[in-house]
Amino acid sequence: MKLEGTNTLPASVDTVWKTINDPDALRSCTPGLKELKATGPDTYQATLQIGIAAVKGTYAGTLSITDKRAPTHYKITLEGTGGAGFMKGEGSVDLEAQGNGTLLKWTGDLQVGGLIAGVGQRMLGGVGKMLIGQFFKCLEERLGGSA
Amino acid sequence: MPLRRITLRVNGTTYTGEAEPRKTLADFIREDCGLTGTHLGCEHGVCGACTILMDGQTVRSCLMFAVQAEGAELTTVEGLADGDRLHPIQQAYWDHHALQCGFCTPGFLMTTVEFLNDNPQPTEREIREGLAGNLCRCTGYQNIVKAVAAAASTLAAASGARRETRTAAPSRATDVMAAPRKTDGTPAASQRPRHSGKTAKRRSGPKR
Amino acid sequence: MKPAPFEYHCPRTVDEGTALLAEYGDDAKVLAGGQSLVPLMNMRLARPANLIDINRIESLAYIRDDGRTLRIGALTRQRATERAPQVSERCPLLRDALRLVGHAQIRNRGTIGGSIAHADPAAELTAILVALDGEVTARGPKGTRVIAARDLFVSYLTTSLDPRELLTEVCFPALPAGAGWSWMEIARRHGDFALAGVGVVLAARGGTIATARIGLTGVGPTPVRPAEAERLLAGRSPSEDLWKGAAEAVRAAVTPDGDIHASAEYRTHVAGVLTQRALREAWERVREAA
Repeated sequence: MKLEGTNTLPASVDTVWKTINDPDALRSCTPGLKELKATGPDTYQATLQIGIAAVKGTYAGTLSITDKRAPTHYKITLEGTGGAGFMKGEGSVDLEAQGNGTLLKWTGDLQVGGLIAGVGQRMLGGVGKMLIGQFFKCLEERLGGSA
Repeated sequence: MPLRRITLRVNGTTYTGEAEPRKTLADFIREDCGLTGTHLGCEHGVCGACTILMDGQTVRSCLMFAVQAEGAELTTVEGLADGDRLHPIQQAYWDHHALQCGFCTPGFLMTTVEFLNDNPQPTEREIREGLAGNLCRCTGYQNIVKAVAAAASTLAAASGARRETRTAAPSRATDVMAAPRKTDGTPAASQRPRHSGKTAKRRSGPKR
Repeated sequence: MKPAPFEYHCPRTVDEGTALLAEYGDDAKVLAGGQSLVPLMNMRLARPANLIDINRIESLAYIRDDGRTLRIGALTRQRATERAPQVSERCPLLRDALRLVGHAQIRNRGTIGGSIAHADPAAELTAILVALDGEVTARGPKGTRVIAARDLFVSYLTTSLDPRELLTEVCFPALPAGAGWSWMEIARRHGDFALAGVGVVLAARGGTIATARIGLTGVGPTPVRPAEAERLLAGRSPSEDLWKGAAEAVRAAVTPDGDIHASAEYRTHVAGVLTQRALREAWERVREAA
C-alpha cells in the first residue's frame, strides 16, 4: 500500500529538520505512541496503541532512521507486530524551503498483514493516511502553526 | 465468566442450557442442543452457512450470542423435513443437484425458506440477489438457482391446493414451512430431531 | 474463533442503558444488531470488557411520522424500516438504499441506529442522513442532545458521540412533495459494501430544479455532501449536460482511497457516473409525479 502526501510547515528547513529528529517531538506527535526508547543512534523501540472505534490494538516494534542527508532528507523503516496483525513499512521525508516556511513531502510503502488486514482492508489506507496526517498536524502546532 | 441459563425453542422443542455470554448462538445450537445441521464456515457473517430462522426471520447464528436468543423460537435445517419426507425446498435441491459437498446447504435452505415466503414467484435475478448472502464453493450456483425456481413452483402449486381447504391464514413465518405437511398451517409434530445435547435439556415437546 | 470474555449487560429501559454506559463508558460497547461488532469480536479485534446489549429496550423500536420528519428509534431493524409503509411513502430514498444494505439475513438484525453509530465509510444510511440534513438524538450523563448529521461523522468508524452516550433516535426528513429521488451504488456482489454510492433528491418548481441534495458514500472517511454540485443544479433546467457538469463537480469533491477492490481513480470515476445516472432517474421520477 503506497501512501504519500505533502505538508507546509511554518518554520525554516533547519528548524523542521531539528524537530523531526527530536525524540521528544516524535514522542508527543506520533498517534497512540506509548513508549519510544532509543536503542542506538537513530534506532528506537516503540510501543503503539492504535484504536479506531472498537478495534484497538497494541503494536511493539522497531523504528530506524537511515539515509540521512541533513537538513533535507531521511528514510524511516519500521516494523511492528501485535495481536491484530503486523506492519512493515518504509518511508522517506524530504524538506524544501518555500517562502518563510518548509514544504515537507513524504512517501511511504506500508504492508499490513494478519487479521487486521483481512477485516480492515477497506479502511487501512485511509486510516494510515489519517494517522500520518495527525502526526504532521501536531508537528505544525509545535512549530507554531495556526492549526 | 459465570454461566447463564438459557432457554429457547428449536424446531418446536424447548432446550435449556448454560453458557457463557460470549458463546455464539451457532455454537449453542450445535454443542448444547446437539443440532449439528447448522454449519459454521467463516464465523464472521460472510458465508451464510449458519443461517437459521429466529422468530420466523433469517439470521446468521454466528453473529448473535446465545443469551440474546433467550425465549426465542428458532428453526434450523433439522426442522425442515417431515421424517423421511423432504421439505419441497430440500427435494428441489436434491432433484437439481444443487449441492455437492453440502457444507453450505443448510444455510442456503434456510435462506430459501424466508426468500420464497417473501417472494413466492421470483425472477432469476431476484433469486440470485436473494441468495447473495450465502457462499458455495462447489456448485457455481447455477443448480442452486434452478432448485429455488423449481421449489417456488412446487410451493405455489401446494399453496394453491391448500388455499381451498384452509380456513385460518397461517402466519407469514410458517407459510412455506407448512406447505408440505398439513393443510392447517402448523408444522407436523410427529417427527422431531433426535436430541443429544451435552448440557441442554429438552424440556417439552411441541404442542400437538 | 471465539470472542474474548466480557461482562454481559442487558438493560430493559433507556435509563438502565445510559446508567450502564455512564458507569462503564470507555470499557463498554453497545450491542445493537451486532452485524459489524460481533465479527470484530469473533476475531478478537474488538475486546470490550462490557457489552451492553440494547436489544431488549423495546421502547427504542419505532417509526413515527411527525409530519415533517420520520423519527426512527435506534433499535428499529433495517428490514422493518425498508418494509414500513411510511418509509415508502415519505422517504422512498431510504427504502431503496436499505435494500442494498448487506443481505436479508443482515438486515433482519441490523438496526438503523447501529448503522449510523458505527459510521462505516461505505454505509448507505450515513450518506442519506447527511444528504437530507437529518439529525440524531443521543442521551448521556449530561442529558439529551440533538446532533445534526453534518456534525456527527468525524472519520472512519468515528462519530462525535461520546462513549457514554446512547444513540436513541435517528431523524430522516421526509422528501418534499413531488420530489424525485434515486439511490445508485456499485458493489462487487449484491449486498457487498459499495465501491461508491450516491443518493440524490431533486425538488422541482415548474420545469426546473428548485433544490438538489446529494450524498455520497465509499469515497472518503465520512459521507460526502458535494456542495458545489448541488449549487450547480439549483434553479437550472434539467439536461444531459447539466448532469454531466454535476458529475464533474462530484468528482472534484471526493477523495477516495484505493484498496484491493478498486483504485482511488476508479472510485472517483464511478462516483461521477453514478451521480449522472442518479440525477437522470430522480428527474424521471419528478416527471412521473407531476
